[in-house]
Amino acid sequence: MYRIRFHGRGGQGLKRAGRILGTALFRAGLEVQDAPRYGAERRGAPIFAYVRASRSPIHERGVISCPDLLIIADPHLLAMPDSGVLAGATTRTVVLLHTGEPVSLWRERLDLPGPLLILPRLPGEEERFRGAVCAGGAAALLTELDEGLLARAISEELAHLSAELIMTSLGLARAAHAALAGERGIVRQEEPISAAGYKTPAWLTLACEEAAVSAPAIHAAATSELSQTGLWRGKRPVIDPGRCRGCWWLCATFCPERVIAVDANRRPRIDYGHCKGCLICLRQCPHHAISAVPEEEAAREEKA
Amino acid sequence: MIPPGRQHLRELPDRHCLAAGTPLCAGCGGLAALQAVCDLLGEKTVIVNAAGCLTLLAAYPSTPFRGSWLYTAMASAPAGAQGVRDGLDILLDKGAIGTEENLEVLVLAGDGSSGGMGLSATSAAIDRGLDFLYLCYDNEGYGNTGQQASAATPRGARTATSRGPQGHPGAKKDLFAIWAAHRPRYVATVTAAEPLDLARKIETARNLSGPRLLLALAPCPTGWGYEPAEGVAIGRLAVQTGLWPLKEYVDGRVQHSKIPQPRLPVRDYFASQGRFAHLLRPENEQLLAALQDETDRYWQEVEEHA
Repeated sequence: MYRIRFHGRGGQGLKRAGRILGTALFRAGLEVQDAPRYGAERRGAPIFAYVRASRSPIHERGVISCPDLLIIADPHLLAMPDSGVLAGATTRTVVLLHTGEPVSLWRERLDLPGPLLILPRLPGEEERFRGAVCAGGAAALLTELDEGLLARAISEELAHLSAELIMTSLGLARAAHAALAGERGIVRQEEPISAAGYKTPAWLTLACEEAAVSAPAIHAAATSELSQTGLWRGKRPVIDPGRCRGCWWLCATFCPERVIAVDANRRPRIDYGHCKGCLICLRQCPHHAISAVPEEEAAREEKA
Repeated sequence: MIPPGRQHLRELPDRHCLAAGTPLCAGCGGLAALQAVCDLLGEKTVIVNAAGCLTLLAAYPSTPFRGSWLYTAMASAPAGAQGVRDGLDILLDKGAIGTEENLEVLVLAGDGSSGGMGLSATSAAIDRGLDFLYLCYDNEGYGNTGQQASAATPRGARTATSRGPQGHPGAKKDLFAIWAAHRPRYVATVTAAEPLDLARKIETARNLSGPRLLLALAPCPTGWGYEPAEGVAIGRLAVQTGLWPLKEYVDGRVQHSKIPQPRLPVRDYFASQGRFAHLLRPENEQLLAALQDETDRYWQEVEEHA
């Protein structure tokens, strides 16, 4: 059985990627489960979707804790512990990372026990097509799938979209497929988990505490400040001080997160720790003083 | 008579009541409206929150609020508000708290709750003359669960449960009119894309007592299908096309606070969102014309009654 897990952010199309891959495997004659994790999916927030596929009936249920293939659509997710991107990765887990950076860099950074592959960023690839790209890249690694099955699954799963969007998705998925053509068959199926082999963990038995001890009481205000929602960002709004006229009201007033503050000199400053990158400020600035810089590029410039 | 509000965005508060780091979608139009309300009401507010997208704000263990927050079931936020108000009134009566410690009770609910299962509790609370402010963030569907159609979904919109070639077959329930029919103290429609109008209405509501509703159109990138950056432009288009009339009910009369001139074709608004994309296809020409007619008739009536 294949156990495949996709990680991305709300809005990148990763839920759809799971469906595309699931449909393609189903059309190839396998039994398939595909589902996104249900939760409070939020645009920009970490999400994951998973696919199980097997020649025999699938009895496993629920989330995939030990994946055979792990697809990461956005390397920034790795900085968010609660997104659990690498959870359950073992020596035989193939990790497919979608990034414009070289594999050597990520091998060193991640020091994974198993194989790491890079799915390069493609020319003309917008963030919302990332799901199609990741589905194409993942399909290339499985012996059961070819480009024809992939294209058919995309056409089926995206049927409700415009012809133009379907064409773009197909083109990008094919390019991703081609980029990894040499890796076909690298992901191998693992035996289904059997309940017979289940060993009870060495449980710790804890004595009951009084409710006042064990139930949390939260009286602190404004604790959300501790959440670094800046990690949700795909693109960073950057203010060009030469173009900013210091009007100070538009970007700051319309920011739905209220993370643009204006200093005494009427200069707006963006709190990048919390800005989610909605880019309303960019769209509202009448002087076009704000540009959107892809987060990877901005982070690289920051380091340089 | 509509009192004059602030004339310039510069006069809006630049200190913000809610903390950053909320778990809501990037570009959330409901959060934008709530920010304005909290900025002007300040910390002395108890938020009574019906289940919906915005309940995630205070999901354990973090909260952006500086004051108290009470989570209720989807149908019962106004009942929760009654309990909080009564509790505060008793404490005030007994002298256990001083008037300076009094709090404003703010119900926060989405359109699913406000126009659907919460309507009965709301109606009863207005009947009892409960002193509360109600902010409904209207994203025109059950946004928190994947944008299924709600009572507030407009005709023609595609939702998770309206996938046909003509979108949602029902009509948007007129919550403004339903509230106004109760003869409450104050009802207003707002949107965060019109911050001065929004601020004036929040302050008008704050200075009144009794049942008061702020009904905010809350553009939703996730549910409506647009790039988050477009949120404010879309809110403004809703006003400019006449689809979201900015108005208020006060002292038994309805007044429009902004009459769009020139009024843009509704097509412009529909073209801005994926949920309406099918309305621009040739086979939906009649439906599009009917939606334009409906809007034209609304404004014609407004003119006739002016």
